[in-house]
Amino acid sequence: MPADDTHEEKYDDNNSTGTIDPPQWPGRDRLNWLIYLTFVRRDFKECMSLIEQQLRAHRGLCEYPLYAKGLLLRMEGKIADSLLLFQAAICLNPDSSTYLKQVGRCFYLLGKHKAALGVYDQAEKLCSEDWEVWHNKGLCYTYLRHNDAAAAAYEQANSICRHDATFLQLGRVLQLKGDAAAAVAVYEEALEFSPESSELLTALGLLHLGAGRGAQAFDCLGSALTHDARNVRAILAAGSVMQDNDDMDVALVKYRVAAVHAPNSAQLWNNVGMCFYGKGKLVAAVACLKRAQYLDPFAWKVNFNLGLIHLGTQQYASAFHYFSAAINMNPAHARSYAHLGVALSRLDDFDNACAAYDKALELDGGDATTVLNYAIALCANDEPERARALYERLTRLMEDGAGYAEERDADVIAQMLALQRTLGLGLEAHQ
Amino acid sequence: MSKMRRQKLSDAAAICGGLLASNSRDEAVWYLKCRALTAEQYVDESEMEEEGVAEILLDSNATADMPRPGTSLNRPMTRAGGLEQGMRPMTSSGRPVTGFLRPGTSSRPMTGQQMDVSTAMRGPRPGTSRPATALGREVRLGTASLDSGGGAAFVDTDRLDLKRMAKRGALAAALVEYLLYVERNPRKALELAAEATAAADFKDWWWKARLGRCYHKLGMYRDAEKQLKSSLKDQDMLLTHLELVKVYQRLDLPNTALDLLARAAVRHDGDARLALASARLHEALSAAEAAGAAYKTALALDPTNVEATASLAVNYFYADQPEVALRYYQRLLQCGASGGAVWNNLGLCCFYGGQYDMALGCLDRALTAAGDDIIGDVWYNIAQVAIGMGDVGMAYQALRVASTVDTNHAESFCNLGVLEMRKQNNDSARVNLLRAQTLGPWLFEAFYNGALLDYRTGNFQEAYRQCQRALELFPEHSECKELMDTLAALFAAM
Repeated sequence: MPADDTHEEKYDDNNSTGTIDPPQWPGRDRLNWLIYLTFVRRDFKECMSLIEQQLRAHRGLCEYPLYAKGLLLRMEGKIADSLLLFQAAICLNPDSSTYLKQVGRCFYLLGKHKAALGVYDQAEKLCSEDWEVWHNKGLCYTYLRHNDAAAAAYEQANSICRHDATFLQLGRVLQLKGDAAAAVAVYEEALEFSPESSELLTALGLLHLGAGRGAQAFDCLGSALTHDARNVRAILAAGSVMQDNDDMDVALVKYRVAAVHAPNSAQLWNNVGMCFYGKGKLVAAVACLKRAQYLDPFAWKVNFNLGLIHLGTQQYASAFHYFSAAINMNPAHARSYAHLGVALSRLDDFDNACAAYDKALELDGGDATTVLNYAIALCANDEPERARALYERLTRLMEDGAGYAEERDADVIAQMLALQRTLGLGLEAHQ
Repeated sequence: MSKMRRQKLSDAAAICGGLLASNSRDEAVWYLKCRALTAEQYVDESEMEEEGVAEILLDSNATADMPRPGTSLNRPMTRAGGLEQGMRPMTSSGRPVTGFLRPGTSSRPMTGQQMDVSTAMRGPRPGTSRPATALGREVRLGTASLDSGGGAAFVDTDRLDLKRMAKRGALAAALVEYLLYVERNPRKALELAAEATAAADFKDWWWKARLGRCYHKLGMYRDAEKQLKSSLKDQDMLLTHLELVKVYQRLDLPNTALDLLARAAVRHDGDARLALASARLHEALSAAEAAGAAYKTALALDPTNVEATASLAVNYFYADQPEVALRYYQRLLQCGASGGAVWNNLGLCCFYGGQYDMALGCLDRALTAAGDDIIGDVWYNIAQVAIGMGDVGMAYQALRVASTVDTNHAESFCNLGVLEMRKQNNDSARVNLLRAQTLGPWLFEAFYNGALLDYRTGNFQEAYRQCQRALELFPEHSECKELMDTLAALFAAM
């Protein structure tokens, strides 16, 4: 970051001194080089005293010290004060796009996005071929929720000069618009331009992960981690891919690194808990998940996972509570209903279990496990007709390409055979 | 005499009063009445007392403005590797929540903030008044009891011939106690004690201890220390040790006090009060593990000690062992300490232990048993349980009730703000969080959530300010730090 700063700074500096006519105001810019030098050395105290000295000597009528003071104040977080200084600089030199851009940036930082847009429009008239103006316009549009305008602005910025930041923002806007494929394309293009940006790699990896492309996601996240080994988001995502591949111990090692940097992250504790669950250490898993729940009570996934564990340890009443909490927080998750159905049928509440299964199938009709469990529950409660209908549906699903039952296929098939036998027996008895 | 033995003190005093009216020179009866009145007013001196506003403001005993980490009671969080603030809520003074409400621990303004009258006056519950000075409170109590005792004071202190009294040991002893506890006149008591010590050739430990106590009451802590130490040299007494510890605490020398306690514990093993005192000190220094161990010792020595049980329960609760905490709270109930707070804590333990039905039952009982001071907390906890069950609507209602019954309940406002944030009602969320920040300036959560809200809506200036405040309160919060870095990068970018 500092390296980038200095380059741009130098450019700006030349610009601002170039626009003023040195012979007219001798001495007014005399110390500008020194101010600049102290500024880029981050010797802010010295810089400030120089600035004050210059401002006193010329009664505030020298623009570069004003501008530098504005930058200093903004770094200290005093945005409103710095805005005043930049505006004063503009009064001295109304044709400078540098100052206009800084004013716009201050407005943006103060959350006054419309005012910022106005300023940037003005700046655009002064210099239309500036990447920064377009990029910042895009940022303002994003905050005003004009996604299309924002995307257009980012693209314009990229056509002038390509930057990581613009690519990242463009990808984010496209994701907000729900256009994941386009976002992936943008990130991939960006990676051709700068293949070592861990942020870009992480964003792309997360997109792949969300779309279920585990291997690609892992590639991206892995290279993100080689560039920045302490990126918590990347560690979490990479860990979850490892977990999907049943590589619990390696995932736990990764999480240990992340835990140092984010000890209060609910997602982290959730994943650690599920690692322990995968290794069969149920008590540790429950402890981790409870901690995750304490840290983020609104995370429905934590509740869902807790429900799973309690279901696994045959504590059906507790499992019911956790599943119902998960459903309350996220009513659109089909598996919660399916597992709720299992818990209820184990608690001998057949009617409500049926209702839960129905709801699960309504949300996601292609889940073979749900259909199978429903059929088993029906079969156990003397409703062979409906069970048989479901069984036929299940066989259709399995023929179509096995639905969602990826890794538990063997288990599912064994259960199916058992069901077939019972149903067959049931039918005979009926006849 | 027999009334006195049976602790019917006011009756005894009344009978003695009658006898004295008939024979005003009867010294035995006079002595008895003196003892009776004193016993009526007696305060257990081994407890810590509350520091009054004026004493905080005019604290001339602070030895150093910037004490080294871990050596001062005033900067509890300086000890590295202490408690994790994210896992355990803080009281208004920046200390972790203790299991037992004691005066003195509840509201000492933080050193980081400006010490002004407004923070000092604002206790954890502004509704309850705070005595202007500790001495003032004693005076008030004293006058009230004298009025109910009926008319004129029993002894006219101004006309006492102290020199003559000091020669008669037992009478003087009764009188000095009377002066301390009934009259609340430590200056006079000091005179008497000084005379008596002189009469006893500076050898009597009891008089020296009394002298120390008088100096302590008068705020002359170094003198008190000297007297108590010399008293200990003559005779090694437990109570004197405890009193000396109290003096060290006032002088803000907790480690010296701990050393003293350790030495005393070797001599007097088997006394729970020493262990309790050292546990309190550890707790005030935010050393939870050491405090837990000390509380355990205390509990082993005195199995019915309410304070130790409650403190241990809280320690276990925040160490993710709600089931163990549940056992301790059950024990508390068996000991007879039943109140809103205990039921409330039982409910929370049940909830985190996964027994939802029990939890709601306990909280229900807590609601009926709770007084005005904790009812807000109970509703707040009901909201927590509701959130845990995913019932956001009920949580919202409970928080609303909590903030109405106790309009100063900052935590409720904070959580209301968070709920509004989740509903995307940014404006009412901001209002609630602001309210929480003004009511509870010790809550880093309120500031962090406010910062997050402003960051999301793009008001970086405000976000920066709030994030700064949050980091002041909790310098190790990783999310805050991350937000701060992001903001700083935004500001520095050209």
